[in-house]
Amino acid sequence: MNQINDRSRDIGAFVPAPDDDMIICRCEEITKGEIRKAVHDGMFTLTEIRRYLRTGMGLCQGQTCAKLVKGIVARELNISPAQLEPATSRVPMRPIEMHVLANEGKEDE
Amino acid sequence: MKRYDLIIVGAGPSGLSAAVEAAKRGLKTVVFDENEKPGGQLFKQIHKFFGSKEHKAKIRGFVIGEQLLKEADEAGVEVVLNATVIGLYQDKEVVVRIGEAVHHYKGDAVIIATGASENMVTFEGWTLPGVIGAGAAQTMMNLHGVKPGNKVLMLGSGNVGLVVSFQLLQCGCEVVALVDAAPKVGGYGVHAAKVARTGVPFYLSHTIVKAEGEECVTGVTIAEVDSHFRFIPGTEKHFDVDTICLAVGLSPMSQLLKMAGCEMEDNPKRGGQVPVCDEYGRTSLAGVFVAGDVSGIEEASSAMIEGRMAGIAAAEYLGYMDKEEMDRNLADLDQALDGLRQGMFAPKNRGKDIETTDEGIPVSKNLLKHGFVADEEIERFPGVTHAKGIHPVMECTQNIPCNPCQDACPKHCIRIGSNITALPAVEEGSECVGCGMCVASCSGQAIFLVDETYEEGYASITIPYEFLPLPVVGEKGDALGRDGSRVCEAQIIGVKSIPAFDKTNLLTMKVPAEYAMRARFYKKG
Repeated sequence: MNQINDRSRDIGAFVPAPDDDMIICRCEEITKGEIRKAVHDGMFTLTEIRRYLRTGMGLCQGQTCAKLVKGIVARELNISPAQLEPATSRVPMRPIEMHVLANEGKEDE
Repeated sequence: MKRYDLIIVGAGPSGLSAAVEAAKRGLKTVVFDENEKPGGQLFKQIHKFFGSKEHKAKIRGFVIGEQLLKEADEAGVEVVLNATVIGLYQDKEVVVRIGEAVHHYKGDAVIIATGASENMVTFEGWTLPGVIGAGAAQTMMNLHGVKPGNKVLMLGSGNVGLVVSFQLLQCGCEVVALVDAAPKVGGYGVHAAKVARTGVPFYLSHTIVKAEGEECVTGVTIAEVDSHFRFIPGTEKHFDVDTICLAVGLSPMSQLLKMAGCEMEDNPKRGGQVPVCDEYGRTSLAGVFVAGDVSGIEEASSAMIEGRMAGIAAAEYLGYMDKEEMDRNLADLDQALDGLRQGMFAPKNRGKDIETTDEGIPVSKNLLKHGFVADEEIERFPGVTHAKGIHPVMECTQNIPCNPCQDACPKHCIRIGSNITALPAVEEGSECVGCGMCVASCSGQAIFLVDETYEEGYASITIPYEFLPLPVVGEKGDALGRDGSRVCEAQIIGVKSIPAFDKTNLLTMKVPAEYAMRARFYKKG
């Protein structure tokens, strides 16, 4: 079994750090401390972190923070970032207004 | 649902190149791009490209972009702009937002050429207005004609950081420092040298501690880091700046491929999440191809070749050519791509410490640490010789794939040979006429014409100069050394700008003879 999915793993207690109030996800204004705490709350995958905190769910869709969040979570779990599966990619790939998404274009031919 | 033989996502260098090859072979091809202009990053590249003739070397990036667009137009490629691909579904169904509606297209083959996005780093104050990506700075300057700031600190010494620093200088900004946490300059030495000689200090093994300011950036503090990238207390340095530019790498924008179900891998050597693919861009899904940075971060010249390969592979996949014809077509491209992937900066050499050039000459340590070749190191390179009268001095000290200087000289004074990564050498017995074609042809601005016996007690030095306003003949100023510090007084005795130089102006300055091998830049007094 994938090691990072082992929920019984002891990652130690949350230790506050001086840069915990630094914003990581700018669109949703999520701080480094919130992300680190989320790992200690049991969110061991990027998909869970995203659902729990909404990191990468804002306007830029994680274009800026995805790699940063990955690094923070990996460090908290004491694993390499490459071991973390990226969050699911799904439609729409870019932010889009609901009225546009619901507006099916007419056939061109 | 509208059907195409081939749908390409991304109208950058690789996407357009793929489209050209496919359309030429009769595939009904469409390219979608979310931007309002095609060309991707090419139109932000105002410097001359490296490589050899087949890689369009010494042509400026945006001109290559114009050529590519013309080629695509002639081949009958349909390019749809302001068209955002929001999904790639099963059976190659591509969903595109165009205007206020969502359209569905079916491609018998799909090429994803979405490129990459810029990485960010965090430090105290990184979200302040004034902290921008190097790509953003390029977009502001070169697409929109907007100066990003007045005093800029650049973080990142890779080619992007170096090239953009130079562009910031050209745009009239003051670049106060070029900073990198790595112990060595990451990009081409020639790019570093042309920035260093203008007086920009390099701080390797340094990174940003914090950006200062309440509402926007007003300053920055950097500090030295140890081999574990931890700050060394007491090494802090402060700069007054209004802009901090980040050039800390790129990540492939590969989400569409992941969504489509391609087998993916996390490959740090290729920049992060990339699809598993073969050398011609075939992914694990039949008929889905990739090209360019999305499949691994490289640069525009190789992206264009990869694009052509993917276009040809897609044509074969759909039966527009047989395998034999494909192999024939790909062989030349293989060779071209291989040529670009040679030398010290080849993908296979990433992360390696290279001590000597292919010629066996120790590489300049000073270049890697401070961005310029030290005066005592320069004489050991084959392009640097002494002669009576005017002669070229080529300060090209690393094996990079580039050879325009060899063909530029009408007198065949410069020899690189068939291996394009070899260091240029002066052909013995050849006679330089001082035309300056080599100076203007060097994409790295590393060639100078030196006449050590120009006048009694004086030497003349011709330098490439891409700044405005141009100095005028007779004007006096300071000659700067490779490190950007003043070495002596200089008088401008020649300013040459002809169409063949393609906007690289040639300044000739007169300096006391003893500074002939030291003075390498001119600054108005």
